[in-house]
Order: sequence, then C-alpha cells, then structure tokens
Amino acid sequence: MPQTPSTTPVVAAAKPKPPEPPPSLREGDLAALAAPALIAILKDAAAPEFRKAKACVRLGELGAREAVPLLAALLDDEHLSVYARYGLEPIKDPSVDDALRAAAGKLKGVRQIGVINSINKRRDYKAGPMLAKMIHGTDVDLARAAAAALGSVGGTSAMRDLQAALPKTSGMTRMAVADASLVCAERLLEEGKREEAMAFYTALTAPDVPKPVRLAAMNGILREESPARRPR
Amino acid sequence: MIVPSVVLGQRAGAVPPSDRILFGGIGIGSRGAHVLSKLLKIPQAKFIAICDVRNERRETIKSTADQNYGDRDCQMYGDQYELLARQDIDAVLIATGDRWHTPLSIIAAQHGKDVYCEKPCSMSIEESWALGDAFRRYGKLYQAGCQRRNGANFQLCKDLLKSGALGKLKTLYANVGPSVNWPPLPSRDWLAEEPLPAKQVLDWDRWLGPAPWRPYHSSYVRGGWRNFYDFHGGGILEWGSHTVDLCHWAADLDDTQPVEYEPVGTNTGPYFVNCTYANGVKLVMRDNGWDGALKTGSCSFRIEGDKGWVETGDATKIECSDNIKPLLRPTEDARMALENHVNELVRCIKTRQAPAASAAAAANSHVTCHAAFIAYQRGKTLQWDTNKRAFTNDEIANRMRSRALREPWRI
Repeated sequence: MPQTPSTTPVVAAAKPKPPEPPPSLREGDLAALAAPALIAILKDAAAPEFRKAKACVRLGELGAREAVPLLAALLDDEHLSVYARYGLEPIKDPSVDDALRAAAGKLKGVRQIGVINSINKRRDYKAGPMLAKMIHGTDVDLARAAAAALGSVGGTSAMRDLQAALPKTSGMTRMAVADASLVCAERLLEEGKREEAMAFYTALTAPDVPKPVRLAAMNGILREESPARRPR
Repeated sequence: MIVPSVVLGQRAGAVPPSDRILFGGIGIGSRGAHVLSKLLKIPQAKFIAICDVRNERRETIKSTADQNYGDRDCQMYGDQYELLARQDIDAVLIATGDRWHTPLSIIAAQHGKDVYCEKPCSMSIEESWALGDAFRRYGKLYQAGCQRRNGANFQLCKDLLKSGALGKLKTLYANVGPSVNWPPLPSRDWLAEEPLPAKQVLDWDRWLGPAPWRPYHSSYVRGGWRNFYDFHGGGILEWGSHTVDLCHWAADLDDTQPVEYEPVGTNTGPYFVNCTYANGVKLVMRDNGWDGALKTGSCSFRIEGDKGWVETGDATKIECSDNIKPLLRPTEDARMALENHVNELVRCIKTRQAPAASAAAAANSHVTCHAAFIAYQRGKTLQWDTNKRAFTNDEIANRMRSRALREPWRI
C-alpha cells in the first residue's frame, strides 16, 4: 500500500519582508463589497484612484451590468482606462458592446486601441464595418489593433474585408492584417465554413504575404488536409 | 579566394556560421542570465541581441555574450519589435516578468521566431489557451522554462509509472510551496508612490507593459513584483507551473486538465488544492511538499499507484515504497536539468521536433494552475468542463478566466 504523505508542512525560511502598503492603498474591505457600494465609489468624484481601480475590477468579477455606464465613462482616463476595461470585458450584456463601440468612435491614441482590444476579446460582430474602415487609416497602431479585432470577430464579412486589406496595406499593418487573416480562417473552420477557410488559407500562401504567415497558412492547409481532419 | 576553415566548419569542433542558430533575448535578469549561461556553451547556437527596458541590464548581457564569443556582435535594443524584426534571428529567450510572457511569446511567433520562455508562461486561463493556439497556428517551436522535464531523476519516476511498476495511477502530488514566500493569494494592494526615475534609466510604462497601471515603486522593479496580483499568480502558479507541469508530463496528462478543484486551507498556509481528473485520478497541489524522511527538495512531485509510490525533487534523490527500491538506479544531479533542457531546445530547433515542454503542454498545465488559483480565490469547490473550457458551477469564476491587458497590448 502506498504511504500517504503526512500533512505537516516543511518549515521554510521566509524571504525579507517587502515594503508595507499604506492603509489608503490596501484593498481590505473593498474585496467584499457588493455592486451598489462599488458603484457608489465610481460615482464619487472625490474617491481616490486606488478605490476606483479596485471597484472596476470587482464589478467585472460580479458581472454588474448596472455599472456599465460608469465603467464606460472611465475609458478615457489615463490610469483607470485599463481598469474600466477589466470591469467591462467579462460582463455579458449587449450594453457593454454598445458602450465600447461608442467609445471606439470617440477616443484617440492608446485609449482607443485599448477599447478596440476589448472589442477583439468580446468578438462583437457589429463592430466589423467600423474595424474594417480603421485598417485603412493613417494611425498604424490603430490599424493593427483593428485588423486583429476583425480577425477575432471572424465570419465571411471579416474574411472579405481582410482579404481586401491585404494588398492595400504595408509594413507592420500588413503583418497584422495577415495575422488576423489566419485567426479569421480558424474562426471560419470553427463555424464549419471549411471551403471558405481553405480558400482563405490558399490566398495567404501567395508570395507577397509576410513569410511567417505564408508558412502558417501552409501549415493550416496541411493540418486540415490530414486524413484525420478531412471531411469524409 | 581564401576561406577560413572555421567558416566551412572544418576546424575540429567548429560549427559553420550558417549552421548556427541565432538567438536574441528579451528581459534577461538573474534567472534569464542563468539560462543564457547554458546557451552560451552550445557551439550550435549564438546569442547576438538583447532587448531590455533597463539600460544596465542591456549592457551587462551584451558584455557577457561578447566576452563569451570574443567579439562585439551582441546588439542592444530598447524595443522588442526592433529585435524581432531582425530576419537573421531564429529564436528568442524571454525571461521578463510574468506579465510579459504570453504577449511577447505570441509577438515573437508572429515574427517567425522560435521561443524559450520562462515560467509561469501565462497570467490567466485565456492567455494559456492563446499561447497554445499561437504556436500551433504558426508552427513555431516553443519551450517553456519547465526544465525538470529534462531531469534524469524526474524522468526515472515517469519511467517507473509507465513501466507499470507503480500499478494503476491513483494520485499525483505537486509541491506548490513554500507559502511563507509566495502565498496562494497575492496582494491586490499598491505600494506608495515614489518619484519616477529618468526614462533612459527605467521606462516605467514599458516595464508595466500589459499589467494594469499603478504608481511607481522601486521595490517592484527590484524583483518585488511577485506577490502582487497584477504581476503574479501566487504560489500555486509560481510553483505549480513546475510541479503540476511535472505531474501532467509524468502521467501523460499533457492534453487535459482536472474537472474538479477543491481548495483547503488559509492564505498563511499550509494549503492544498485537491483536484480530480475525468478518469478519476487525483492531483493534490500541496503547500511545502512533505515532511519526515521524504526530503526530496524544492519543486518535488510524487506519483502514487495502487502498487507503489515514488517521489523526487531538486535534491536529486528518489524516495519510494519498498517494492520499488530494487528498480532504482543512480541518476545525474537534478541541477543538470536546465543544461539538458537548453540542449534540447537547440536540438529541437534544428530537427523541428516538439520539445517536452511544448506550448500545448504548457497551456494545459497552466490552465490547471489558474483554475486552482481561481478556486482558492473563490474559496469553494469548482467544477470544470474541459470541452467548454468553463467552470460549470460559478459564473464569477468564469469571469476571472481572463485579465484585461493595459493598452495598447493584446494577445
């Protein structure tokens, strides 16, 4: 019979103590607050940044849809925008997608890219036309984020937009469009649109496609054409 | 034309430059330097570029590489995209803080690079899957810094299970302690703000990278980022990324995760997470390992079958039930694991074979650790659907499967 290990832990030497956070920067009771109290923190203009940050994260964990307008209002905040997205991303409610789309049309710079990245994560198909347009803008970082989001959204429409964008883009944007195309092809496979996916992969093996993506597309074709994966 | 014999690989032991795998490094601190020291010994590889947000680290690593090769070839970068854009670089070592591991690994794959990345490889369940997906998509090679998969004493334990000597597998034990250093629940607090150093000394924005914003404090940068939730997955992920990973590898569970996670204990330890796979096999994540005679060292793991048990760790020695003792043989020192691991990396890059610690294997073992971490945070037993990749009895837990990445970063 196997000997079951004892439950007594081995005593190990502790590392030197790290600096102590000041009381105002400790999560403490914030971790246990319910949505109404957390919403009150976001409504309080005088509430410190730390408390607002923690409230955002916790509201996301709770899935508090009633907090969506308050979270969306922080999307342009230099420090809190990521916390607002932390809160918004996991809330399963269409009002989040509406808020993110609205913010994507208004914000500029990295804050706008952050919102596009949240749209990417939520795979909001209604954002497709807006994303397709952004790929052709002059802001390269935004174009790359939009391409990635479009690939993640997936579907036939995204495939057409990405295919159209590939020959019209260059440099880092082109790399992002090509990478998004690979993701989009995988989404098509997941949706059972095998013929479209295989045609997309084939298009991505063209000599002018960035080499890593060209090779990945060939890899995708080989994977899907293996006897185990091919439809019978 | 006169061609030096070294170019043709005709000098004894020489490798023609065209046959050398060229490496770059991103975020090489003390741990990364240890890995690099093994790589520098391998004639088939050459380390030619370093990227770091800290100037002093860039210069230190350049100096180390240049001294090793007797040249000045190692180039320094402050921006990872500049390093990754180099067509001549085949592979990168990533040894940044945990928050960067998945995003940088994926960016490297998108640039056509093979990757060695330190553990923990991901900050969330979502990142773990994204990592596995990206390397499958690009067909690039990924090796997680789970070097014990190439340790002889660990391999012998795996072999004993596979041979049937231990009988039918019942329980796996993964040491996830000591909690005195890294408790299961890291702090969600912030440290008080200190004045920012000059950007050329430290680019705080880039140091934070995908982690949520917080005010600067020098302690984070000096290695004190661990134990803070925004940068760290606590003791379960810190150690489980080694020892849960070992359990998966030894028991051929590299393609799955447990379906139940039961947290036991407090944040000051000792603590456990009792997990169960769909086939009934148990996995016990255990703070601090085991006591008594079984002092097998840090990062220990243990396999129990219905006929016997075996346990090993960084102390090299193997403890086992009496019936297994005749089957033991001396193994090389466990400290050789890292050297073996880096040799495997170079060999696999050349042969295009998947290394033992592949991205797919890392994804599964890390999802297991993250799920256990979430169960511990939730303080309740969680059920997990391996097909839906979701918890079936707790929606809050499902919302904790991912973390928002600070703009402009994404996976």
